[in-house]
Amino acid sequence: MPVSINDRRLSTLYTSYERSSKPIGKDQALEILSHLGDSARWGQAKLADQLKKPGMTPEQQIALAKDGITANEKKDLETILDKGGVPLEAGARAFLEQVLGRTPSPVNPTPNPAAVTANGISVNGGQANGLSGTTKAGATIEAINISTAPGGRLHMDDTMVIGKADANGNFDKVNLTGEQKLREGDLVRMRARYADGTTSDWVTVKATGIEAKDGRNAVVALFRIGAADAGNGKIDVSNINASRQVSEPGAKLQFTNNRTGEKAQVTITAEGGFPAGFQLNGKAGDSFAVAASDGTNNTAFTETVGNVTVPGGTPGNVDLVPDPALHKDELDSAGKPKFNKVRFTGPLFIDGPKADDVRQGQIGNCYFPAAMAAIAKANPDAITNMVKDNGDGTYTVTFKEKDWATGRSKDVPVKVDGDLYARSYGGALYGHSTNSSDPKKMELWFPLVEKAYAQWKGSYDTIGNGGHVSDVFEDVLGVDASYMSLGYGGVDKVWNQIVSNVDANKAVGAGTYGEDREALYTNSGVYANHAYSILGYEKSGTERFVVLRNPWGESEPAGNGANDGVFKLKLEDFTKLYQSLYFQN
Amino acid sequence: MAKPPEPIEDVIPNAQWVVDAEVTEVIATGSQPQKVEAKPGATSTGQKTAAQTVKLKVKRVLHGEQVSELTVEKPEAGYALAKGNHGPFLIDSTKTILGRYGPDSYSFERIEAALASKR
Repeated sequence: MPVSINDRRLSTLYTSYERSSKPIGKDQALEILSHLGDSARWGQAKLADQLKKPGMTPEQQIALAKDGITANEKKDLETILDKGGVPLEAGARAFLEQVLGRTPSPVNPTPNPAAVTANGISVNGGQANGLSGTTKAGATIEAINISTAPGGRLHMDDTMVIGKADANGNFDKVNLTGEQKLREGDLVRMRARYADGTTSDWVTVKATGIEAKDGRNAVVALFRIGAADAGNGKIDVSNINASRQVSEPGAKLQFTNNRTGEKAQVTITAEGGFPAGFQLNGKAGDSFAVAASDGTNNTAFTETVGNVTVPGGTPGNVDLVPDPALHKDELDSAGKPKFNKVRFTGPLFIDGPKADDVRQGQIGNCYFPAAMAAIAKANPDAITNMVKDNGDGTYTVTFKEKDWATGRSKDVPVKVDGDLYARSYGGALYGHSTNSSDPKKMELWFPLVEKAYAQWKGSYDTIGNGGHVSDVFEDVLGVDASYMSLGYGGVDKVWNQIVSNVDANKAVGAGTYGEDREALYTNSGVYANHAYSILGYEKSGTERFVVLRNPWGESEPAGNGANDGVFKLKLEDFTKLYQSLYFQN
Repeated sequence: MAKPPEPIEDVIPNAQWVVDAEVTEVIATGSQPQKVEAKPGATSTGQKTAAQTVKLKVKRVLHGEQVSELTVEKPEAGYALAKGNHGPFLIDSTKTILGRYGPDSYSFERIEAALASKR
């Protein structure tokens, strides 16, 4: 499963590494650093040049990167190091660990790991260079990586021949390849097949010494998990194809009932399935979020692999598409959701997309609704084209992702259903539109686009802790977008940028100051640390005005008519109250 | 913060006083909350300002015991108060100001409607 990296450009870079199937070396580590350490002073390209400058010591490179790295970027680096699917060369890992101030782990923490033996075969400890050991002379060595096998259509006996023992019975540095290539912590099931066709017993080896850390979590074959209503509030859970694995032996799966929040854990058996008689509490129609841990990765079960739904029940209870998790603010101390979901079935559009359709919910993502309202005003067709009703209760929202190597954007389709987190007394919790309290009437395009954005980026928590209007312009329109710091430009420069964008039907937004200047805003009708859409401009004699919209759909300076969030400010007041201008190039 | 104010239905039940008042003095200011790291130009970062103790001159009591002056706590939040700031203040039993943006959280009209539906 791809890892979730918040920094969009770094995410694109990392995806290219995933596709290349090559380990991350020092050059790639420097590339990563150039994305992490960029800042107003050092743009990414400039920083990349500086980091690669001849004579730069590793200490200087680390210091330079640390200078520009933010807390979120540190989290991204932790994700790459601790959860990333691309192996890191030992030197590159140690280098990046130092950027986080962590002590590099030794590559092989177990100096002389013990051999693992079964009747007829012995496998040496430590797999840094492959699998070595002893068996009968001339025997072929068969193996399967049972950590990766659950994702494929493999039986646990579907081995590949990876080598042959010599005349003394030794096999040396033999390897699994392709999707079964060994990673640190993987479980490999092996046996020897003798010349007479008989075999040794099976032996299972946990790979060590390959990487500094076990970075691959247990794979889960969700499609093999069967759930059936047993009555009496119980759900029978089984492996629907017992000859193939649900997950790797010894892994723990956690099931969270999306209706009740109740959690239950189970340990996968040696055969890769569930213990006989395993049951969950629930009823027909319930869906369960499934999370896995191999004992090293995802031990808090915070990352889910998907949902399993119990057939039956009323249609409204069936989760058509797995939903993004709630923001952490909406979980109680036990990690249980404080809000349930309600299926909204209203029209996708009423009179086409409009800025007024957009209402920010109880989530810190003002940059997103502000950007979407600006796009709805400037280019409503872009929204009409990005959201499609599939006619089966699901919708496909298509975002754009730029490939920074080619400069071209590619489509990122995200499928969602109409289930939205809602308050007990009615109304969608997060992004919504008018008639939010009526699931049959609310216009759906904005809450569904926001939900799909959360799905794409990871969760409502991922998108709900601040961000950039410009990034949303890029993610929705597939164009380049920029931001201008208003503290450094004259009012004419600001005015000209707004006028040129509005006249060209290009999206534009603005952000207020967020630090040390909050007192400036109290009683002003404008809010600190907040993003706004710019809907237009007006001129009256020599006075120039900027027309703005609060993504809350209300709350504005006095004297601006109906409390709909739309207001105008004199250009001079605008440049005092606003810190940033975001615009589509 | 840049989240919208909490739904007034969630806040009103905790309000011991609802008053139309003006800040006459900022008596004390707490230490600055930890700075939230964010890229330049990012919004909704969740940065909060220091807690304050302020004195309010009450012009009108919409709900609660009649008072002419209150010393109250503004918690760490996404807004700050200064002398002269005014508007509707919702205050709980611990004399803490409710609403994510203090006097800018809700209009008098909305508060009065919520109080009326509560009665």
